[in-house]
Amino acid sequence: MPQQDVRQATESPLVLQELLRKTARGDAEAFALLYRKTAGKLYAVAIRIAGRGELAEDALQECFVTIWRRAADYDPTRGAAMSWLTAIARNCTLDRLRRLGARPEGHAAPVEALERIAAPDDSERGAQMRALRSCLDELDETPRRAVLLAYLYGLTREELATHLAVPVGTVKSWIRRSLGRLKQCLDA
Amino acid sequence: MNYDNPELRDQLAAEYVLGTMPRLVRRRFERLLAGEPALRRAVEEWSGRLGPIDEAADTEEPPPHVWRRIEQRLALPGTGSAAVPRTGTAGLTSRGGSWFGSLAFWRGATLAAAAAALALLYIAVRPAPPSTVVAVLSDDKGEPGWVALATAGRGNLSVAAVRPVALDQAHALELWVIAGGKPQPLGLLTPQPGRPLLVEAALVPRDGVLAVSLEPAGGSPTGLPTGPVQYKGPVLPHAP
Repeated sequence: MPQQDVRQATESPLVLQELLRKTARGDAEAFALLYRKTAGKLYAVAIRIAGRGELAEDALQECFVTIWRRAADYDPTRGAAMSWLTAIARNCTLDRLRRLGARPEGHAAPVEALERIAAPDDSERGAQMRALRSCLDELDETPRRAVLLAYLYGLTREELATHLAVPVGTVKSWIRRSLGRLKQCLDA
Repeated sequence: MNYDNPELRDQLAAEYVLGTMPRLVRRRFERLLAGEPALRRAVEEWSGRLGPIDEAADTEEPPPHVWRRIEQRLALPGTGSAAVPRTGTAGLTSRGGSWFGSLAFWRGATLAAAAAALALLYIAVRPAPPSTVVAVLSDDKGEPGWVALATAGRGNLSVAAVRPVALDQAHALELWVIAGGKPQPLGLLTPQPGRPLLVEAALVPRDGVLAVSLEPAGGSPTGLPTGPVQYKGPVLPHAP
């Protein structure tokens, strides 16, 4: 049951925070446990952006090398451990993808993908996700598509322009405006 | 560009998190983040806004060789890989020779003060892999106040106090690197031993000087030192 799997994979923030703290002190066992608890999720993010294959594997490797080196930078007062880890996974994957200058084929429709991953639950994360979805719904359809394609699959401005058959300048202003509206809606 | 403009800051942070910045702009932005706490906060805020998408995602079991490669690359202790580093304090004590060599560079520091600093260092870095001193920052009397260490296998330097430093709530101690041009901010220091500031090693060149200035709480508002320089020290020639 996928729903149950997701819940099992959702670790207590305090556990991850503690593992990061120990990792920062050079505790290899804590680091290995952190890997076991979070690599599945981070790998899923890497696969979504870079496709299944060597690129995503390399990105995951790079991601955990970065986590080992920078664990002491994590500040629990400024966000959940999982957000910090996910941001690193995104960056590692995007960096690899950009360096390669190419991207894997075949993107599912992003709105569908979002529906699929946004199964409601009662946790705070569920509430955040619902808020984000309702704010995304307020955007115009094609700009919303641009934002989701960029975030979910790591498309560049140029790739978005090709994909949506509009000039790059249009993509830029859509994104700028959509992000502004998203912030207003989410922070309201 | 003026990163004091909150709107611009927010726009850049949003596009960075979304991932649509071109590669080189992205690189430049990442370099800026190290010295711009407000920009870093804006990025964290945007990660928080969009992050639920990732956190709600499914999980995928990575192939086992990924972890084996990570272990190998980091030469993690106790993992049975070929290059297991000496752990604990071995890295500090067994390299006594080169450590004493580096003491010559502790300009103005008395041997007693150096020994005290070493003793504190010993406590601060005990669980970590072998470390090398990159710079010792002393006050105008030659008393060492801060030390920058490089740790084998890590791409950053840790800069920590060698003894508690008095600091009131209205002020902060900011670390700078000077290498030819204007001082570049590296971040705010914690005035307690054992709580290092981590700095990208690539930002600190071999011919550079590290300096600590007294700034208003939150750090220099201008991006350049505004208060007196309280500690400084050159990057040691043998630094990795």
